[in-house]
Amino acid sequence: MVAAACSSKKSGGGATTSAGEQDNTKPVMGGSVVYAQEAEDAGGLCLPEAQLDISGINYARTIYDTLTAPNDKGDFVPFLAKSVDHNADFTEWTIGLREGIKFHDGTTLDAQVVKNNLDAYRGTYPARHPILFSLVFGPYVKSVDVVDPLTVKVTVAQPWPAFPSYLWSSGRLGIMAQAQLDSQDCAKQLIGTGPFKLREWVVNDHFTADRNPDYWQKDKDGNQLPYLDSITFKPVPDGQQRLNGLTSGQFQLIHTSSSIDQEQLRALAQQGKITNTESDKFAEVSHLMLCTVQDPAGKICPGTPFWNEHARRAVALALDRETLIHVRGKDIPQIASGPFAPGAIGYLADAGFPKFNLDEAKKEVAAYKADTGKDLEFTYGGTPDPEGVETQNFIKAMFEAAGMKVSTYTVEQTQYINVAVQRNFQMYGWRNFPGSDPDSLFVWWHCNNAPPAPCDNLVNFGGFNDPVINSDLEKGRVETDPAKRQAIYEDLNRQFSKQLYDIWTNWTVWAVATQTNVHGIFGPDLPDGSKPNPGLATGHSMAGLFVTP
Amino acid sequence: MPEQSPSPAPTVEQEPVVAGTQPLVLELPPTETDAKVEKSASKRLGLFGWVAIVWLALVTLSALLAPVLPVPAPDQHFIGHETEAISFAHPMGTDGTGQDMMARVIWGARASLLISVSSVVLGLILGGLLGLIAGYYRGKLDTFLTNLFNVFLAVPQLVLALALVAVFASDPAKVSSQFHWIVDWPVSQREFWLIISIGIVSIPIIGRIARASTLTWAQREFVLAARSMGAKNRRIMIRDVLPNVLPAMFSIALLGVAVVIVLEGGLSILGVGVPPSTPSWGNLIATGRNELTKIVGAAPQVILAPSVAIFLTVLALNYLGDVIRARFDVRESAI
Amino acid sequence: MRAVLQRLIQLLIVLVLVTIFCALLIDRVPGDVTYTLAPVATPQQRADLRHQLHLDKPVYVRYGEWVDGLVHGDLGCYYGTSGYSTASQCPDKVADRVKDALPISLALMVYAQVLALVLAIPLGVLTAYRAGSLFDKSVNTAAFALLAIPNFVLGLVLAYYVGSKLGWVEPTGWIPWGDDPVGHIKQAALPTISLAVGQVAVYMRLLRSDMIATLQEDFVTMARAKGLSPARILWRHALRPSSLTLLTVAGLNVGTLIGGAVVIENIFVIHGMGFLIADAIFRRQYVALQSYVAILAIGYVVVNFLVDILYAILDPRIRHARAVA
Repeated sequence: MVAAACSSKKSGGGATTSAGEQDNTKPVMGGSVVYAQEAEDAGGLCLPEAQLDISGINYARTIYDTLTAPNDKGDFVPFLAKSVDHNADFTEWTIGLREGIKFHDGTTLDAQVVKNNLDAYRGTYPARHPILFSLVFGPYVKSVDVVDPLTVKVTVAQPWPAFPSYLWSSGRLGIMAQAQLDSQDCAKQLIGTGPFKLREWVVNDHFTADRNPDYWQKDKDGNQLPYLDSITFKPVPDGQQRLNGLTSGQFQLIHTSSSIDQEQLRALAQQGKITNTESDKFAEVSHLMLCTVQDPAGKICPGTPFWNEHARRAVALALDRETLIHVRGKDIPQIASGPFAPGAIGYLADAGFPKFNLDEAKKEVAAYKADTGKDLEFTYGGTPDPEGVETQNFIKAMFEAAGMKVSTYTVEQTQYINVAVQRNFQMYGWRNFPGSDPDSLFVWWHCNNAPPAPCDNLVNFGGFNDPVINSDLEKGRVETDPAKRQAIYEDLNRQFSKQLYDIWTNWTVWAVATQTNVHGIFGPDLPDGSKPNPGLATGHSMAGLFVTP
Repeated sequence: MPEQSPSPAPTVEQEPVVAGTQPLVLELPPTETDAKVEKSASKRLGLFGWVAIVWLALVTLSALLAPVLPVPAPDQHFIGHETEAISFAHPMGTDGTGQDMMARVIWGARASLLISVSSVVLGLILGGLLGLIAGYYRGKLDTFLTNLFNVFLAVPQLVLALALVAVFASDPAKVSSQFHWIVDWPVSQREFWLIISIGIVSIPIIGRIARASTLTWAQREFVLAARSMGAKNRRIMIRDVLPNVLPAMFSIALLGVAVVIVLEGGLSILGVGVPPSTPSWGNLIATGRNELTKIVGAAPQVILAPSVAIFLTVLALNYLGDVIRARFDVRESAI
Repeated sequence: MRAVLQRLIQLLIVLVLVTIFCALLIDRVPGDVTYTLAPVATPQQRADLRHQLHLDKPVYVRYGEWVDGLVHGDLGCYYGTSGYSTASQCPDKVADRVKDALPISLALMVYAQVLALVLAIPLGVLTAYRAGSLFDKSVNTAAFALLAIPNFVLGLVLAYYVGSKLGWVEPTGWIPWGDDPVGHIKQAALPTISLAVGQVAVYMRLLRSDMIATLQEDFVTMARAKGLSPARILWRHALRPSSLTLLTVAGLNVGTLIGGAVVIENIFVIHGMGFLIADAIFRRQYVALQSYVAILAIGYVVVNFLVDILYAILDPRIRHARAVA
């Protein structure tokens, strides 16, 4: 049974709902909503090439469908696909398609276009040049073949039990029409099979989509989805402005991951003014990412002390996460024990992450000095929003109490990822690793080269190259026995707590707050009858939204 | 070369009032008759004037002496006392992480005053020099300089400052690296480039005023006399014209500091102000911008305390600038 | 006619110099647009994208391309991951954004100036007439006080009080006139007031200062002797020659307000020219920024020109001086 329990110690008195709580309101057709988003995806939605954040994922889930989708248990069941079957050793995956599904431009969804999509994602389709996805799929998928007009076969290089989770990829692996795949304007010419068709997109202003009258999915009573006539997304980066817009009626839905906002949303929900839904299921983990490469040339991780274990231990011991969650998190999120949230494979209530201990921290600072002859000094980068800045300074004070010298700086949102990619940081506020199958984290952590060389993986921003982690990731990928898999990822979890490449703070709680007459946040039941995923870290389906008069 | 506007011959030119920030109070200096009307008010500082001076002295002293004042450290977090209202222990309340607002406002004065005074001084030196040269030598040099000023003035002050800061101080890893400015006063790279950028932005504005003022003085009889006696231009500029231009410059300096304090606030709201690890009045307001509308856990003092500080300081500076301008009234030449 | 030609040349010079300066400046901004469009990329992929976007060409070549586009009426294209597109294929045209944003900025500017002048002119006239009186002193004090409030603080306070607390208007956002005239006025009210309040004080004092000087002049004394009423003298005879300084400053303000209201636009979430410019700087959209700066420069010079013309209309002495010259 889906855990309906609130994830936090202080509940909003029942007025704030969590995943899975039943909403028995009868759906109503028609209506439009405005949904305020925390960011804009200026790079466009050419899915194989795009690097989508959560608002981008929301757009993607509006216009496109993925072949699989997670259900309430975290299993990846067929969604756009009718069936996803594997052979005995998980090296061949047969994707069966539904008949009669059309793209927004009238073309048919068939095996050829699905093959072309998959090839585009893995970098073998000439017109498209994926970056991140080619790292994910490239070397691991051997071939994609059309078996018949409704069947595609994917052959992978090694046994890959987690493959269905990749057909989801946090909602980013949408299937595009041939016209978009081949278009030079792929980033803005959006054609999918999804519940809504793109009407207009003015970057940084609004993204409007209208109902797809031929949408293939029906709700559990057999009604045609989606319910809404249209949906408009508006990027509003400031959380308080989103909140104010919700209370004034300007927006019908907003989302936020800020504890300061969530505290207010709970109060508003308690007063009956709005409907507030929170979830930290299958959540990402917020953490302080450390740059751990010692580069004598000073190019990679310039100036970082965190190649040294004492430095990493010092910051882990000096961070009082309880106080942090209490003062800045308003007791809403949970302290993260590791990258895996409760319910995910590999989760451990205690993975051995050091408990707050100021004296021990000071000892580690001294040990660092003894080791290197230098004082423990570093820079700490974060986001420039007011709440982030205050929290950053709060954390800085904790480190300084242990005798470290910290200088903080902020990076504008548009440049935030760059700093990480260029490994031009020492400590950096970060949030990632949403709770999908733990194998999906392979791409972020695995190194192909041998330690002690810095990780050759572009997206392992911290640069750590850990033999235990590399081997756990490789073993976990091909392991088919669930119990053994769990043990492997638990071992991975413990290794992180031992080496402290990332300092976990909390699992991110996402809240979607709406006017009281808006329902259906989590979307309809999945085609196989299972309940939708209760997580909000990768957005949510728009097909189930409806407004009562 | 085409004439510059405004074209009525040598009156003191009017200067662009900068929008989006706080306008400069720059007016035609009063005529003798106007001075007669305001005589009783302008020849003495008056109560307001003294209050203004006292306030500015208070702010400057607090800023300079902040490290030794009996206030808590601005980054000390009083856990359990977050978002507290005004109390005996915290005369201006605390913010969302338990920091004492009075301490932050006092320390904020340091950053704000450092940036505003330094950039105005930079603008005065360079802009004043260029304006003096333009107004004294006239002719081609004047036209060239005026056109140069015009080019910079075509872009709004805030936008130009934003672009300059983005160019010079947006490499995140370097932004907070510090060096020691005056003795033990660490200044981050961003603050340094803020000073340079705002200084550059103010050069054309101050330049035009200096030029206008120089124009009126350079045509006076005593300058003519000095020249006919064979004195070198540079000597005349420095010994005869400059001292008369200085009062107008001083008045502008005060007004300029006020403008820059507010400009820094605007830049902070856009995210390119003083890095938030050091409080400044501007970034305190930027951090507190949402405190008024928060439903739970609001700490309006975070935005109100620095706003009041800015208000009083700008008021004092504007008033004094105005008094000085009135006191050293420059005669208007006939059209 | 000669004046118009002179102005055109001046416009061209300012335009060229400003845009060259802009091009040189942006070239130095760290972190190019490929990092915004595709943060994660191999060095080869990044080089390919840079090549597609013409970013590997030297500054003067890119400047030339931009000028070439401008001459053909094309303000340029926002960089996207699909590569640099020609005007016909550009999915995100700068001209489209300008079409939406410029009317907003113009409207805001006009409203703010009108509000400021409507309040400042009567106050300036009256305080000049009653110079030295209690009325004059209190209005002056109030003017100083209004000047000292940073306009973004005023904006935040108004947005909170009138927007959130009283709920009379939406705290943020802009409604175009075409969509809903009443809503348009409601949404424009708060940003207009925030921008206008500081200006009222400045304009009032400027007018007052000039007016006091004018009122001492002989022709005023004579008009009074002839028996004209004070009101008639003030408004019909003294106001025109006293408004030169006010006019100049207001004119210059018009120029700066079009792009310079960035902070107010940020607070009220209004997507005007200021927003576009700041956005272009942050997102390293060089071409768009060039075009916006060019628009601002044109606005500045045009406004200066109009101010000059108004000068001649308002003050016959200047008209005559020019005619004689």
